[in-house]
Amino acid sequence: MRLPRIFRTTPFRLTLLFLALFASAALAFLAYIYVATAGEATRRTDQEIVREMRSLTGAYDRAGVDAVNQSLIERAASERPFLYLLLGTDGKRISGSIETSPVDKFDGSPTWTSFAITDQNARGQTFKRPARGLQERLKGGEVLFVGADVGEDEAYVLKVVRALWGAGGLVVVLGLSGGVLVSRNVSRSMAGLAGVLEAVNNGDLGARAPVRGTRDEFDELAQGLNEMLDRLERSMAGHKHAGDAIAHDLRSPLTRLRARLEAAYIDVEAGKGDPTKALVQALEDTDGVLKTFNAVLSIARLQAAGTAPDPTVFDPGELTADISELYEPLCEDKNIDFAAELTKGLQVRANREFLAQALANLLDNAVKYTPAGGAIMLRVRRRSSGEVEFSITDTGPGVPEADRARVIERFVRLENSRNTSGAGLGLSLVAAVAEAHGGRLELDEGPGKVGESGPGLRVALILPRAA
Amino acid sequence: MKILIVEDDLEAAEAMARGLGETGHEVVKAADGEEGLTAARAGGFDVLIVDRMMPKMDGIALVETLRREGDGTPVLFLSALGEVGDRVTGLQAGGDDYLVKPYAFAELIARVSALSRRRETGSVATVLKVGDLEMDLIGRTVHRQGKEIDLQPREFQLLEFMMRHAGQSVTRTMLLEKVWEYHFDPQTNVIDVHISRLRSKIDKGFDRPMLQTVRGAGYRLDA
Repeated sequence: MRLPRIFRTTPFRLTLLFLALFASAALAFLAYIYVATAGEATRRTDQEIVREMRSLTGAYDRAGVDAVNQSLIERAASERPFLYLLLGTDGKRISGSIETSPVDKFDGSPTWTSFAITDQNARGQTFKRPARGLQERLKGGEVLFVGADVGEDEAYVLKVVRALWGAGGLVVVLGLSGGVLVSRNVSRSMAGLAGVLEAVNNGDLGARAPVRGTRDEFDELAQGLNEMLDRLERSMAGHKHAGDAIAHDLRSPLTRLRARLEAAYIDVEAGKGDPTKALVQALEDTDGVLKTFNAVLSIARLQAAGTAPDPTVFDPGELTADISELYEPLCEDKNIDFAAELTKGLQVRANREFLAQALANLLDNAVKYTPAGGAIMLRVRRRSSGEVEFSITDTGPGVPEADRARVIERFVRLENSRNTSGAGLGLSLVAAVAEAHGGRLELDEGPGKVGESGPGLRVALILPRAA
Repeated sequence: MKILIVEDDLEAAEAMARGLGETGHEVVKAADGEEGLTAARAGGFDVLIVDRMMPKMDGIALVETLRREGDGTPVLFLSALGEVGDRVTGLQAGGDDYLVKPYAFAELIARVSALSRRRETGSVATVLKVGDLEMDLIGRTVHRQGKEIDLQPREFQLLEFMMRHAGQSVTRTMLLEKVWEYHFDPQTNVIDVHISRLRSKIDKGFDRPMLQTVRGAGYRLDA
């Protein structure tokens, strides 16, 4: 038989454990109360019996058995609550309020006994009442028994015991219902989380745990779970998207390569055309495919990982100075004015290689679109928000304002690469690098019209401040 | 030069062996890690070309074992794993260079030659000399035919690399990796521009050009 769910919950089990501990403590406490009340009543009765016994043996010592007998007769008349029995040396009853001794085996030493006496109530019904007594041998050989009706005491003890049972029961009932309440509450919170896990297991990556805004540990757990699922979902989407993109990006250049080889083969077969030329062309095509493949793979890995691998904290000024130094001659060669404005002493937490590649790609792009006589400016600065901004401004044709958001989206979604070679993928990698570092890409207008061209483009790669 | 190729892709190994053989090298092939280790232990090689992922014993374990045994033969790793982390793993295991598959054959030849040269110049030279070109590594000066040539720090490093590999082809990727320490391919011809600047400094005004462009490969500094 399976227990109802509620009894299998951890909180309920914990409640049971605490209940057991609490019940033990309560039991010890109740036992103490029992000893202090019921035990006390019995002790008091025993003391009174002993006192009466001493009083009678005292009379015996002073005036012999007749004095005791006399006392018993007097006491029977005065309705004292004691029970008496005086036996002669031969064991025969001399006098007393009871007929026979309740003591079964008497070896002569003072003996206590508990027994029952038969009584009658007002309506003539007989019933038994508990009693206690002490039997002693007198110096002359006679035997004296003194007892007392403890019915009243017993009733009192019974009351105490009943009260104790009641209190114990109350503790258990209260504890159990408290346990049920607590576990139901916790179970409800857990059920939400368990439901989300089940949904995710069944393939629904969009399932999210409800956050109730109580900011307790369940909310924290739900939030943590949701964040994890967000990342997982992004990563899965990244993988899927990367796979699609690789297929797209490689299919067209491979198709081109195949077509060229085929055409070259036909030409060579027919005895016209130069095989060397075709082979050189094929090699170049293959290199192009490899470049595309490497770029798409880097992007895919970044997007799938969601974070930059092996990040280190470093001064971006040095890295940018290095990159500037790499590109400056190229600009000069193309008669483009190159300037770098690098703030020193900043810190970013990034993968050095990927950041360098992103900046190189941006510069490649700027050089490609900036006509001779134009200018390129590379700037690293700290924004007032604490973010580090790498910006590259050129005087090329720029991107119309209306298209900028879409252009970034296309970089992010790798759409560019399908139609244009190289440049699109390069910027897609920049977008992937930005995203993997928790940063973003911004497009803006350049410095405006410069000579024949303009208005120019300003691309900013913004990284969060190094924690 | 005697070269050991440890590569489980037999076709790739054969192509490499043929190409290296044609350029005048003696080549031995091993088809897996264990076989490679046995061959390498027998010794006598100038360069080992080791694939990273192989059956029985992978390239990393193979090179680590050799290094532990005190074998310092230069190793060029070949790998399909091209991330920076993978490269670092390879170099930490004791590799001297790392080439990502697929590679251009010119790149492979250039790197193998560079590795063998590295071994020969084990001593610490303070002056490099190629033909009438002289580089003082301590004074950071360069002279050609006694005339001082003024170089920027990066140009100096670039020329130093070319001089250390004088007579060998070096590729653009090698230069970017070894001189600038970047491991990506730029889309534009940045390296060519640096070379042409260097060329204008060391060759301009002299009767014989030293810095040659090697078609399909890269550059070469001739004495």
